[in-house]
Amino acid sequence: MKLFLSLVISTVFFIANADAQKIFATRNGKVTFSAPNDEDVTAVNNEVTSRIADNGQMTFSLLIKGFKFKYAEMQDHFNDQYLESTKFPRGDFKGTITNLNEVNFSKDGAYKATVSGDLTLHGVTKKVTVNGTIEVKGGKPVLTAKFTIVMNDFNVSAKAVAEKVNVEVSCQYQ
Amino acid sequence: MKKWKKIIIILVLATVLTGVSVVLYVYLKPHRDVTTEKGVQLSAQSLYDAFKTNENDANAKYLNKAIEMTGEVADVSANQDGNTVINFKTNDPMFMINCTFKTKPGELKAGQTITFKGICTGYIPDFNVVINEGVLVK
Repeated sequence: MKLFLSLVISTVFFIANADAQKIFATRNGKVTFSAPNDEDVTAVNNEVTSRIADNGQMTFSLLIKGFKFKYAEMQDHFNDQYLESTKFPRGDFKGTITNLNEVNFSKDGAYKATVSGDLTLHGVTKKVTVNGTIEVKGGKPVLTAKFTIVMNDFNVSAKAVAEKVNVEVSCQYQ
Repeated sequence: MKKWKKIIIILVLATVLTGVSVVLYVYLKPHRDVTTEKGVQLSAQSLYDAFKTNENDANAKYLNKAIEMTGEVADVSANQDGNTVINFKTNDPMFMINCTFKTKPGELKAGQTITFKGICTGYIPDFNVVINEGVLVK
């Protein structure tokens, strides 16, 4: 019986180990966005949570109320009129690296990565594909990416301010 | 002066004044300052429990509110803009209350007990509750 138990336990451990994937995470990634035609309209969020697994899966989440603007009045407008952050407090992205064979998480270097997945914002979910860079430094990845969001795609009617915003992502993982 | 001229001058002045005050309102409105607000006193655990039990209820109660939290610092770091960040522990080893200072809190160490006051921006399941724009109370 003892032998059987230890066999079972070691088998379970073996399987668990073989299946083990490396997961990198951060609670304080950074997302900046700006309106291309108005330099005053720019905001920063430094509390972006994210996980990347070396099997290519990744998640990002941020809180809309965490975006800080230079001007308080714009911040209020953004929260109350445009993104309705009390009703939709969070933005989420869940996706996978589509060119995983070109990214090596266990070897230092800079890799171009393409990520596809679902972006949920303002209660609307859209498929997006984003190109970015994953730089592995001392075994830990740093991710940077730039892309554009069309406000209308997410039912945000901010025509008076910006129809599109440029988004920059910068995450340093542990 | 003719009556209509007076009216036009008054109208122009009123328009200019309105324009100037709108611009002033947009550009000079001060950012919220948590130091002048009385915070809701909560422990890290009770804030986590509230969100875990019912996210909508907890949002209604705590979102955008000033929260004053006393607890043991789990770790200290800096964000990419150089602001100090600390985490408070909960009974879930993966789940923290993530707190960002807007002013320099002085030297903080893991294990130290502090009181932090900031604004709750919300809940990210499996990660943390975020409180930012905060200050060190003691």
